[in-house]
Amino acid sequence: MSGSEFPAGEFLTPEERNLSERFAAQGYLIAPVENRGALDQIRTHVAAAACSALGIAPPPDGKEGALLDRIHEHVGPDRLNGLRLSVIEAMAAAPWLRPAYFSLARQALSTVVGNELAMQRRVNLSVQLPGDTASLLPIHADVWSGDSPFEAVLWVPLVDCHGTKAMYLLPLGPNADLSERLHSFAERSAEDIYRSVEPEIAWMEVPYGHYLLFNQNLAHGNRENGEAETRWSMNCRFKGVFTPYADKKLGEFFEPITLRAMSRIGMDYRLPGGFDE
Amino acid sequence: MSKVERRGYRGYIGCRPVFGNRTAQHVQNLVIRDYAQRHGLVYKLSATEYAMPGCYMMLNQVLEELPALEGVIAFTLFMLPRRPERRVAIYRRVLAAGASLHTALEGFALHSEDDIDRLERIWRVQSLQIPSLQSS
Repeated sequence: MSGSEFPAGEFLTPEERNLSERFAAQGYLIAPVENRGALDQIRTHVAAAACSALGIAPPPDGKEGALLDRIHEHVGPDRLNGLRLSVIEAMAAAPWLRPAYFSLARQALSTVVGNELAMQRRVNLSVQLPGDTASLLPIHADVWSGDSPFEAVLWVPLVDCHGTKAMYLLPLGPNADLSERLHSFAERSAEDIYRSVEPEIAWMEVPYGHYLLFNQNLAHGNRENGEAETRWSMNCRFKGVFTPYADKKLGEFFEPITLRAMSRIGMDYRLPGGFDE
Repeated sequence: MSKVERRGYRGYIGCRPVFGNRTAQHVQNLVIRDYAQRHGLVYKLSATEYAMPGCYMMLNQVLEELPALEGVIAFTLFMLPRRPERRVAIYRRVLAAGASLHTALEGFALHSEDDIDRLERIWRVQSLQIPSLQSS
């Protein structure tokens, strides 16, 4: 075995280095999910919960995406939040759903965030009907609202997301510039901030079967869905379990999910006592 | 031009400690929901103020939205700006919009100019408890 296989000071594999560098440079990764069966199972569960809440027949196998895309034919903006809450409740009541969600990007999370992780206790769901202006998320960075800068967001659509049916992210350079001048918007609105960066935002094209893993320190949000279909997407935050927490605390918001044996042993260890000075 | 229908009360919560006390965001929302329910007000999902000290951008955003709202329910009176003139400007902006401002934790409501004195008396007494605020 030659030493040249191990460049000095390089501990990441070439694949890990490549993924880390891409994430750091772009602020996001879009890739096929690592467990397609788990994603299909989640989508079936969500579609069944939506049908049950709306009192309509569940779709035939393989037609869940089509139903979710056209859900605006069954519900309007006035009943949308009720539907969303019913489905979130059904998601929270399925104990398998969070491990399944984690499995969608387990390797990528391990590379980009760490292998001892804390996961948000609830997987969130966004449903955005075409033309609905009541479910918009104005431009923001999660870290501005009390999230730790060590968190990454795993965003997974249940339908093909493109154009304004998706979400946008402000790339690194323009985001650094916005950060410098954010205070100048103190008496203005989020819409003013959006207008000032609109030419620079990047719309995330994420087909079903793919995930988006992004740096939530970058400004992001959504706009009125101008496409003909409804957007359904899930999101959940992950961070290194031993990295600093901000306002979203361990226990009430995050839960350790992949503590390793030596960490458990270390946490339980007590030095022998009883000695006298 | 058609008139915008005014509906509901926007919640307003924060992620900065208030006078050294932190309240989890979901608990702030529970207190606001409970207040809204007890007073028969339609609660609209809360805006969360940003973490940066002295920043009231989300509050400003909510005030921009006033023409479409019946009012605002803040988690606590003491999450409003520390400078009295800035607070009074907010009270007047709410009243000028024909809306009301509620503070769920204390159970106060600002419906008229008379209520400003009451809220500000409480703020002034509270300020006396915090040495760093006495100059403001």
